[in-house]
Amino acid sequence: MLFSSIPFLYYFLPIVLILYSITPKALKNTVLLLVSLVFYAWGEPMYVFLMIATIALGYIFGLLIDRFRGKPLAKVFLFLSATSSLLALAYFKYADFFIENFNRVTGLSVPLFRLALPIGISFYTFQILSYTVDVYRGTVNVQKNPVNLATYVALFPQLIAGPIVRYSDIEIQLTSRSHSFDKASDGIRRFIFGLSKKIILANSLGELCDAFHLSADKSVAFFWLFAFCYMLQVYFDFSGYSDMAIGLGKFFGFEFMENFNYPFISSSITEFWRRWHISLGSWFRDYVYIPLGGNRVKRLRLFFNIFVVWFLTGFWHGAEWNFIIWGLYFGILLTIEKFFMSDLFKKHKILSHVYVIFFTAISFVIFSADNLTSALSYAGGMFGLGGIPLASAEWLYYLRSYGVILAVGIVSATPLVKIAVNRLKQIRTAANIINFLEIPVLIGLLILCTAYLADGSFNPFLYFRF
Amino acid sequence: MNNKLKNILSVILFSALLLIVSVICWVKPETAFSESERRPLASKPQLSAESIFSGEFTENFEKYTVDQFPLRDKFRTIKALFTTKVFAKKDNNGLFTADGHLSKIEYPQNQQMLEIAAEKFDFIYQTYLKDKNTNIYLSVVPDKNYFLSFDNGYLSIDYKKFIADFKQLVPYMIYIDITKLLSLDDYYKTDSHWKQESITDIAEFLADKMGAAFNGEYTEVTASDKFYGVYAGQSALPVKPDTLKSLTNEVLDSCIVTYYDTGLPKSGEMYNMEKAGGKDPYEMFLSGTSPLITIENPNIRTNKELILFRDSFGSSIAPLLAQGYKKITVVDIRYVQSTFLGNLIEFDNQDVLFLYSTTLLNNSTALR
Repeated sequence: MLFSSIPFLYYFLPIVLILYSITPKALKNTVLLLVSLVFYAWGEPMYVFLMIATIALGYIFGLLIDRFRGKPLAKVFLFLSATSSLLALAYFKYADFFIENFNRVTGLSVPLFRLALPIGISFYTFQILSYTVDVYRGTVNVQKNPVNLATYVALFPQLIAGPIVRYSDIEIQLTSRSHSFDKASDGIRRFIFGLSKKIILANSLGELCDAFHLSADKSVAFFWLFAFCYMLQVYFDFSGYSDMAIGLGKFFGFEFMENFNYPFISSSITEFWRRWHISLGSWFRDYVYIPLGGNRVKRLRLFFNIFVVWFLTGFWHGAEWNFIIWGLYFGILLTIEKFFMSDLFKKHKILSHVYVIFFTAISFVIFSADNLTSALSYAGGMFGLGGIPLASAEWLYYLRSYGVILAVGIVSATPLVKIAVNRLKQIRTAANIINFLEIPVLIGLLILCTAYLADGSFNPFLYFRF
Repeated sequence: MNNKLKNILSVILFSALLLIVSVICWVKPETAFSESERRPLASKPQLSAESIFSGEFTENFEKYTVDQFPLRDKFRTIKALFTTKVFAKKDNNGLFTADGHLSKIEYPQNQQMLEIAAEKFDFIYQTYLKDKNTNIYLSVVPDKNYFLSFDNGYLSIDYKKFIADFKQLVPYMIYIDITKLLSLDDYYKTDSHWKQESITDIAEFLADKMGAAFNGEYTEVTASDKFYGVYAGQSALPVKPDTLKSLTNEVLDSCIVTYYDTGLPKSGEMYNMEKAGGKDPYEMFLSGTSPLITIENPNIRTNKELILFRDSFGSSIAPLLAQGYKKITVVDIRYVQSTFLGNLIEFDNQDVLFLYSTTLLNNSTALR
């Protein structure tokens, strides 16, 4: 079920809020777990059993790791836990990719599995992995209550598109969390802003991106327009979803980690990745990069560590070569920055921002493609390769038609509005007016989002391949 | 307002809004048909283990909740106004307003669709018309974008190229160019079609080119002064209605109109006034969708007959053409298989006019 849908907003959510409110504290997690399973089964009626099995394995291995703590068997169970989780991910997400490449290299025709990708498998697999690793490391206590562990993994606000919540972050909240009007109100604000980012901005920009894909009148200018719109679409889609998840979490007393922090204002790619999909970046840092030795190793080994992390980051996003290239592209940029360019960014602020936008725009064009061939063709199109014209009638039309949306998107992708509101709030009268206006603005946005949904407007789901 | 009070109010209002809308969603009676969009709405899907596990139930339930959402048309209007007025988007779901007209972007030219249409026409030519002493004509009705797109900066097909390409595909037809006689005012503001009262010159020109000249004088009859055309409902924008008029005179009044909706003849009216107040008022002309209609003119000396292959644009011009012919057979191959026509029509020594709009030729999958 999508957050940005009528069934979620006006059928599922009201029932869940009522059930949760009237349930005694001791049973709140049970209710959350049950509604989360319904939420997941709504879109994946069969794969819900796969998720339950994966959680059960995580629970059992957690107990076994704890039971044999300090003994070699603990390591064996950690290995088994990681292997079982990753095998499931490999089977459902990557099997066909491996077979296709095997066939390509050997000339054989091993049939593909053609399995539908279970929604959210990359997210919940990583959550279970982090749990068993943390239990092994002793940084969290083993969870003996299966309902609590299952609630942590399956909790519907963050289940299908993150943030990748660490067990360590909500270990205490699972058994002891507070509910208040302040928290719930904060959650509502966050949820509606996230919903608006997704429905009003991301989906509108997505229409242009779809028109670009279908266009037979592509030009260099149209490629760049697409690149900017697509990177904003992904940002508003993904960060909007994270906002909704964080907001919904607050309804139920949880505090999830932030996942985005205005990445497009970054002045280096290194900073960009500190601000973009923070929960994934920190996951790879803590569970891959640091265990490999991090940066306290010899230079050659450091290159290797960076290569592994960015190869995996790309591969996590999808089972296609263009995602791997996308990950390695960032790995190369980060390596160059680390060793050669750190002073440059300090001296040339504007240039550094242009540099970030330029290279991230290219990266998103690679990311948007269905495969490596079209990724290379798209990236080439941005520089006029393939004999395409500089501009075209379609480009001009879509620029005119989406100019305002694009401008609103660009401003919304920066903290300008937030800074302005915070400054105004320091003036008492202005703060009162802002407080007074907040509720009508939120209700207005909710009505507008509902209007888009009732119109049956374009509403894609970008996370299916993650 | 202090923060505490704002937060309490915010939670109460948001919860109340969700709950009230939710209750209305659950108890609201189903609506079977959307008058504005002219389409049936999704109904509540049947719940079964099979439909749940196949994903069919959830998919249909989502369509149902969108289609049956309370005040849906109002919400669609909010979205359309926000998109076009605040976001200044040039079109909303492909529909746009320019020069006081609503229209729909018809872009790009779909060569494959032109070829499909040409194949259907070629089948008719090869099977029924070749060596039958028939004169075969083609005329193409440009959609409104022909007049609107360029000046208003909308994407549009290259009409000259479009017609030239299609003419090349049907070299056995004599092309009659009516584009120069048309202007934007000849079309309804809220609908895709042309107005019957504005196309008398087109009818006379076509008849003249086919050797069946006539000069008609008409009385205008207003069928509806609140005609909201197909684009009015689709766009969801607040617009002023058109006036729907029909033309009549003594010759037209005396014509005998026979419908063959079921294959069997059934006499009827040239203008169906019941339909003028129905879901699609334009269907008043020759009762709208019908596979085969004959119009016989008993008060004419000539024995000339016309077979008119047409889309909906033909509905309003066919009555006018009846003045130049003893009999017109109006055929719509969207509703009858071309292979079946030999059982219904005797093709021999007639004028044959293929009169189609650019919209249909560019989306020709409906032709059978």
